[in-house]
Amino acid sequence: MADRARYLYAVTRGVTTADLAGRTGLDDAPLEVVPHRGLDAVVSDVDLDEFDEDALRKNLEDLAWLERVARGHDDVVRAVAELGPTAPLRLATVCLADAGVRRRLDEWHDGLVAALDRVEGRAEWSVKVVERDRAPATSGGERGDSTSPGAGAAYLLRKRQETEQRAQDEDAALRRADDVYHGLAEVAVAGRRLRPQDARLSGLTGTMTLNAAFLVDDEDADKFAGVAQELAGAAEGAEVLVAGPWPPYSFATLEEA
Amino acid sequence: MTTSAPDRVEPRGQVALVDLLDRLLGAGVVLAGDVTISLAGVDLVQVRLHALITSVRAEMRAAPMLGNAPAEGVESGDG
Repeated sequence: MADRARYLYAVTRGVTTADLAGRTGLDDAPLEVVPHRGLDAVVSDVDLDEFDEDALRKNLEDLAWLERVARGHDDVVRAVAELGPTAPLRLATVCLADAGVRRRLDEWHDGLVAALDRVEGRAEWSVKVVERDRAPATSGGERGDSTSPGAGAAYLLRKRQETEQRAQDEDAALRRADDVYHGLAEVAVAGRRLRPQDARLSGLTGTMTLNAAFLVDDEDADKFAGVAQELAGAAEGAEVLVAGPWPPYSFATLEEA
Repeated sequence: MTTSAPDRVEPRGQVALVDLLDRLLGAGVVLAGDVTISLAGVDLVQVRLHALITSVRAEMRAAPMLGNAPAEGVESGDG
């Protein structure tokens, strides 16, 4: 039988194994809490031959495996977030035994407490701005007069105009993204700009100019949605996509020691 | 006319995989576990990109007709 290890999903407080009774994590293993110095780590057993270093290197390249584990991890994090303030751990954090889990809770105790204080009573919202694809400016080729006198100069002029137009469009798009970000930052506790996603990965049509995460007080959620709606109305030519509430993945970070 | 509402306010439901990976690999509390030490930090993001690009390539090969994907790009690995 394969060696077992402890997979860490999240750190919380005020949660016991009994609170998670009947809930399972990856591979349907029961969830357990490892308490230590006022912090509670939510863990379950995994097979070490799936999660040791060599296996992880291989498995992280396998999108089906990655999706299964990411979804499983997220399910647990969400369940924990229903029970208490939650600092989600990065995917595939594995310790060999509970002693290792407690050692991490010790080592990062103050940072984890600060992270839980920061996210308590708050949730993460995702906001994206996607510029609709414009019809490209009429480019050369549809007229058959390219051999007529002056055609070369006209071509260059048209090219220059197109370049200028494109620069203006890009500036306007960046301004729209900034306006949405800064407008929402005012009703949020914190905001972060993540790297805009490639259309091939997001499946969205158009160019993503903003991929932001905001930490929002639960009681301000409606206000946040209202402001998002207003800003979406003002961002002509672009779509504003709002999703949430999510566990505070982007905000439960530890300060660099 | 072209004003848009946030017309995709998703319920507390499933997160798109790409959003999840943005967060699970690029954010979250990073504790070095016993077996993931050399996978912490930037390395994981590289792994993610590699995995996603590999899979996108595979999809595009499998379904070349499904193309709003640009003709250039994917193979050049400049993303």
